[in-house]
Amino acid sequence: MSNSVISVISRFLEEYTTTTPNKLKVVDAYLLYILLTGALQFLYCLLVGTFPFNSFLSGFISCVGAFILGVCLRIQINPQNKGDFLSISPERAFADFLFAHTVLHLVVMNFIG
Amino acid sequence: MAFVTRDGLFGLFLFSLALAGAQALTPAHYLSLSDVARLQSLLNQQFTDLESAYYSVVGLTKLGATVHDHEGVCRFLKSQLDPTDVNSVFFAAETSQAISGCEIPVSNETRDILLAAVSEDSTMTQIHRAVSALRSLGLALASQEVVGALTGRISKEDNVMAITLALQTAARLSKQAELGGILEEIEDLTPRLDDLGGIYLQFEEGLEATALFVTAAYSLSDHVDMEPPLKEDQVIQLVNSIFSKKSWDSLAEAFSVASAAAALSNNRFHVPVIVSAPGPATVSHSQPTLQLLVTDVMSQPLAMANVLVESAYAVASKSVILSQAPFTLNDGVFELNFMSSKPTSGYYQFTVAVTGDTRLVANHVELKVKVSTEVSVTSMDLSVVDKDQSIGTKTTRVDYPSKGKSSFTADSHQNFAMSFQLVDTNTGVELTPHQTFVKLHNQKTGQEVVFVAEPDSKSVYKFELDTAERKSEFNSISGTYSLHLIVGDATLENPILWNVADVVLKFVDEEAPVAVQPKTLYMPKPEIQHLFREPEKKPSTVVSNTFTALILSPLLLLLILWLKLGANMSNFSFTPSTVLFHAGHAAMLGLMYVYWTHLNMFQTLKYLAIIGGLTFLAGNRMLAQKAVKRIEKK
Repeated sequence: MSNSVISVISRFLEEYTTTTPNKLKVVDAYLLYILLTGALQFLYCLLVGTFPFNSFLSGFISCVGAFILGVCLRIQINPQNKGDFLSISPERAFADFLFAHTVLHLVVMNFIG
Repeated sequence: MAFVTRDGLFGLFLFSLALAGAQALTPAHYLSLSDVARLQSLLNQQFTDLESAYYSVVGLTKLGATVHDHEGVCRFLKSQLDPTDVNSVFFAAETSQAISGCEIPVSNETRDILLAAVSEDSTMTQIHRAVSALRSLGLALASQEVVGALTGRISKEDNVMAITLALQTAARLSKQAELGGILEEIEDLTPRLDDLGGIYLQFEEGLEATALFVTAAYSLSDHVDMEPPLKEDQVIQLVNSIFSKKSWDSLAEAFSVASAAAALSNNRFHVPVIVSAPGPATVSHSQPTLQLLVTDVMSQPLAMANVLVESAYAVASKSVILSQAPFTLNDGVFELNFMSSKPTSGYYQFTVAVTGDTRLVANHVELKVKVSTEVSVTSMDLSVVDKDQSIGTKTTRVDYPSKGKSSFTADSHQNFAMSFQLVDTNTGVELTPHQTFVKLHNQKTGQEVVFVAEPDSKSVYKFELDTAERKSEFNSISGTYSLHLIVGDATLENPILWNVADVVLKFVDEEAPVAVQPKTLYMPKPEIQHLFREPEKKPSTVVSNTFTALILSPLLLLLILWLKLGANMSNFSFTPSTVLFHAGHAAMLGLMYVYWTHLNMFQTLKYLAIIGGLTFLAGNRMLAQKAVKRIEKK
């Protein structure tokens, strides 16, 4: 059983490194960073406690929001998905990404206390 | 329609009658004898000029008081008189009429000046004073001309004081003149009175205006012998307004009140009646007569009044005790022997009617009379009853006011019982007063416990003390308690506090007798210190710092990954829009930090709008350029 899992994972990684364009890998690295940051924040909250709760929430939501926006950007600039996003150029996707982030940061900063 | 049946109409008629009766107003304020004396002493001041002399002398005369030293007053008037001034002549003339044997000599010049003042061009005050002076000095006057002047003046000076003076002036004119127009002014002026709570009726110009209006209205009405258009309730409300003030600011005000008092007690149409009891309206066996004083608003007794009790009923039972019973006049006071009707003790509602004169106003008065009596305690039986009733009860009879000879002992197996009756000493009827208490007083500790004794259906009072059940109220302190019976009521003349007997109570689980300190209830209590909300415990700095470093580590990982992937800045073109875009973006991130530390949302939004706008424009440009480059590359 574990054998097949390992072989699946190794096959996936191989395919990933060869077929994915560089641009997407850059975005993927960014997403991984966001994920780790969020996970560490959650771990802190579990271990040490929820004081101050508003700060924890704002930090965690910032990570979650950024991750979601990053995923949206990745989907929109992926050349394989070009058919689904005919009216949205990669530049437009990036501009949307920036604008949404501005709003997200405003909210997070308001809530961080 | 259902209303138009005979029964319906009759019912409606009765209803309106009841309503009218319910709304009959009686005076709440009047001049008592001390008020009249106070008014007189105010008017009796030494006067310094003609005006104050006028107010003093004429005011006192209206109150029926004597003015001293008529000769001195006359001399004063003659010395102060200025024959060329209408006001001066007016004051002197009126005052001289009030005292006897004083003739003010008048020259033709003065007469001409007075006659000239009577015209439409003089003020109302001048016309009034001139006409009054001419009349008081016995000089001839053309009444119809005066009426013309007054009517013309009223249309120019349409205020309360002016119209009141016009009324007063008209009362001095000949009856042959056409005074109807001026008489109508009373009716026109009445709606200008302010109704306060249905009790007071006065002009907003104040007490003096109201009082002078009343005086003038009745003066003119008497003169033309026509009833003034004032309803009974309005008259009473005016009485309330004028006589509610018991100390007066000026001579003029005092004079106006005195004039009004004289007008209301002595005119041909409306004389308000004041019915009052000289002391508390209480009747008892020792004092069987109910006394009433029936006077006018100046506390002068009414000569030809007949006072009658229309009906008297008991408040509690609503049964009618008296109907159409007359009072007898005894030395200025109206008396009625109420006890002869043998009323039981309690409160009675009397409706008293004063008749004998058609002018009387507010002559139906409601009065509450109290009948008090004496109470005595009979058949006081004390006993100690065993709870399981195995041993027979021993009842001891105690007579008021002596104390039971032996003390009673009751322990936790026994009940102490008491029964008695309260009867009216005079009639023998059983009473149920408001307060019947049994007080047990511990002689050693000073503790008092009070219980209520309740009557049963036969009006026999019973009190039972269950020693075991009640021990918490006694704090389980055994010992000798003195037993007192307390009886009281508003209608009892002899409240009772009777030490009936001593009772020894034995409780189980006796605690050490603690001296009861009743005073601790009123000593200052310990001060309460405010406890501020304690801030939540923060984790130690070591933990926080560790986690901060931990959080920053993925950033490191990101940079490493990006380097590995070959992300670089080789495509960075230094076009102005690119530079501006990056600068703007950096500024926005900087603004976020500043927002966290210094600003509030509104300021941030303002700055964000500015920077964001610039960044958007620059970014748009930059991305468009990039898009063009991308398409070119393809």
